[in-house]
Amino acid sequence: MISVSPRTLDPKVKLDLNNLSPEQVALEIKNLNLYYGDKQALQNISMSIPKGQVTAFIGPSGCGKSTLLRCINRMNDLVDICKIEGEINLHGENIYGKQVDVAALRRQVGMVFQRPNPFPKSIYENVVYGLRIMGENNRRVLDEAAENALRSAALWNEVKDRLHDSALGLSGGQQQRLVIARAIAIKPEVLLLDEPTSALDPISTLTIEELINDLKKQFTVVIVTHNMQQAARVSDQTAFMYMGDLIEYSDTNTLFTTPAKKKTEDYITGRYG
Amino acid sequence: MNSWFKSGSPWVWLSAGGVSISLISVLGLLWLIASRGLSYFWPADIYQFETVNEKGQAVTVIGEIYDRESLPTKQLSHLDLGLDPTKETIERILVKTGNRELVNLDFRWLLMPLINKTTMPEDIVVVERRTNGNFYGFIEGIILDGQPAGLEKMADLLERVDDFQDEMDELQKVDIGAINYQIERLRLKKRKHKLDETLTVEREQEIDGEVARYNADYQVLEKQLMAIRDKVSRDQLVVRAMGGEVIKINFEEILKVTYNNKLSIFGRSAVFIQQIGSFLIDDPREANTEGGVFPAIFGTVLMVLLMTVIVSPMGVIAAIYLHEYAGKNALTKLLRIAVINLAGVPSIVYGVFGLGFFVYMVGGSLDQLFYAETLPSPTFGTPGVMWSAITLAILTLPVVIVSTEEGLSRIPSAMRHGSLALGATKAETLWRIILPIASPAIMTGIILAIARAAGEVAPLMLVGVVKMAPNLPLDGNFPYLHLDRKFMHLGFHIYDVGFQSPNVEAARPLVFATAFLLVTIIVSLNMTAVTIRNRLREKYRMLEH
Repeated sequence: MISVSPRTLDPKVKLDLNNLSPEQVALEIKNLNLYYGDKQALQNISMSIPKGQVTAFIGPSGCGKSTLLRCINRMNDLVDICKIEGEINLHGENIYGKQVDVAALRRQVGMVFQRPNPFPKSIYENVVYGLRIMGENNRRVLDEAAENALRSAALWNEVKDRLHDSALGLSGGQQQRLVIARAIAIKPEVLLLDEPTSALDPISTLTIEELINDLKKQFTVVIVTHNMQQAARVSDQTAFMYMGDLIEYSDTNTLFTTPAKKKTEDYITGRYG
Repeated sequence: MNSWFKSGSPWVWLSAGGVSISLISVLGLLWLIASRGLSYFWPADIYQFETVNEKGQAVTVIGEIYDRESLPTKQLSHLDLGLDPTKETIERILVKTGNRELVNLDFRWLLMPLINKTTMPEDIVVVERRTNGNFYGFIEGIILDGQPAGLEKMADLLERVDDFQDEMDELQKVDIGAINYQIERLRLKKRKHKLDETLTVEREQEIDGEVARYNADYQVLEKQLMAIRDKVSRDQLVVRAMGGEVIKINFEEILKVTYNNKLSIFGRSAVFIQQIGSFLIDDPREANTEGGVFPAIFGTVLMVLLMTVIVSPMGVIAAIYLHEYAGKNALTKLLRIAVINLAGVPSIVYGVFGLGFFVYMVGGSLDQLFYAETLPSPTFGTPGVMWSAITLAILTLPVVIVSTEEGLSRIPSAMRHGSLALGATKAETLWRIILPIASPAIMTGIILAIARAAGEVAPLMLVGVVKMAPNLPLDGNFPYLHLDRKFMHLGFHIYDVGFQSPNVEAARPLVFATAFLLVTIIVSLNMTAVTIRNRLREKYRMLEH
């Protein structure tokens, strides 16, 4: 069994994931099917992601956890052969509706990728990129937003003296925090993290995990991770996926200590994966 | 042996050999054109040869040695020149004797065995003149205001003449040129009103009045010009040529007088630098075989810059469409292949296309729409610098498209996704992230385009280059940049001077000098672009993942 850190074991308001009140729900996924050409990658996924909490998707490689994450801010639209059925509701509105402005959606649902991908610009310009896109050019507003975002991403103290140096001069862990700062600078409601620490060293990983814990005070965080310990450490809810199916979805403590399904148990005890 | 092959060192040697051959070819080429071209500017020794002519009379020949070669004695045996028949070969030299007004040919072959005496008199002068080429001979005296004067006045006189010439050039080209331009403009204005049937009596009077004013101005300037011309043609230099003929050269004809044989190495270097300078900034003379090449330098650079301004946005936009927006299907593939194949079309074909489509069709229509008053003489419906630039832009378009597309496809998709995930649209991502990162690749395309376009001559001969352009495409008359004008080009200048000129022998060093200059200009244009590219590369350096 995976040891679950005391923090996530702390007694708190137990959420009944199957019967969340509308105010508690950040995202509602309904009967989602996804096909890459003829191949079905997601099978009839339904789940509700609670507000202000960290939800982790775990599962073996190719189980569809990243694909599901990318559905939430419609990054899968960039794949030509991808076809999606079903609904994902944000504020009770289907993000796959015809009237939806994808750019506006992505401002509400930010995303951080596996590898740090800072733009070849200065640190400052990286952070304010999203604001500039929104048409904000007031120097004072930008400065303030940049500082807040960098502080929230626990990077401010390290870079405050070299804001106008190239972002490419930062270390991998700093770059990943910069990318997180960039994503939260535009104040999204939901932050998607796609294996954010898989390219980082253990110390940077630890910093980012601490950061995630802080971030959930402001944002709903959805994280995909390969690493079960990480899911156990940082998340409040965990969803286990296998071969495109959502096998089990419950609070992290329950999932890791008393899994309801055999497949889940096999996976978390390391029998496959 | 077998293990030697297996070790791979033969391939190392082979590739090193390939590199060496390319390097030697490039350096050899540069050395050849540089040495031949630059030696033209070095003040040569002037010799005086005592020899005999075909009739057996003793003659004196003065000039600089231009070339030497050996030829078989047999070839000359029928001439009965009393040559030593035991010798296999005879050396002969080509002497540039100048003095074109006295002899039919300013070059003469002399057989070495027939030369009795060779001297280098120190007081031989080379007089560089505006017409008739160089004069080689001895100074006899100076006539100043109709009176003989001392030689010490010569430097002052030359300077004075130089000043007068500058003044006359200024008057002729700038002031009188502007008046002519204005008078022509008024004539066209009047004609336009006539064509539009809006020519009222007041308008006509107004225009005529203006023309009369300009004509009056012109009269004044012409008088000034005449006065200077009188002043300048009063003084003469009296010189004696090799045959003993004494002639007078007006000072207005004289550009420079040098005692080549008296010059020290420093004196010669000074003359050398001065000659290169005047080659770069002067207009050509004597059917392009003398003087400078400034209009050709100007034309080449202007045309290349115009071409760059046209081809860069077109190529980049086309590449963006092909790479970012066009569907990934057979049609796009076909388009891409077509673009790449465009690069293989012979350039003269582009010239024909440019002449037929741009000059006659587009230019002809422009004339009918906007320049009806000048017809039947065409404005844009005739070859000109704009059509040349556009034709070359079409010619170099594939290069820019291909390298831009390559640059776009090298950008990691993480950059795009990062920007899109922040709520940027595709266009914003392109403009703010993708294009800056791809800019070094775009610059590479532009560098290749410049290199290709600057050396291209064949299509230009059809769409705008001329042997001698009366005006530069840029001058002080509104709208300053005259894109309809024909222009001179260094590449065409090489062809024209080397193969179309009446005096091929005299022009030969100019061919090398011009070729060297053309290479230098292309290299410097390229170096500028490479510097910009390296700056951009440094700025948008991607992390090595």
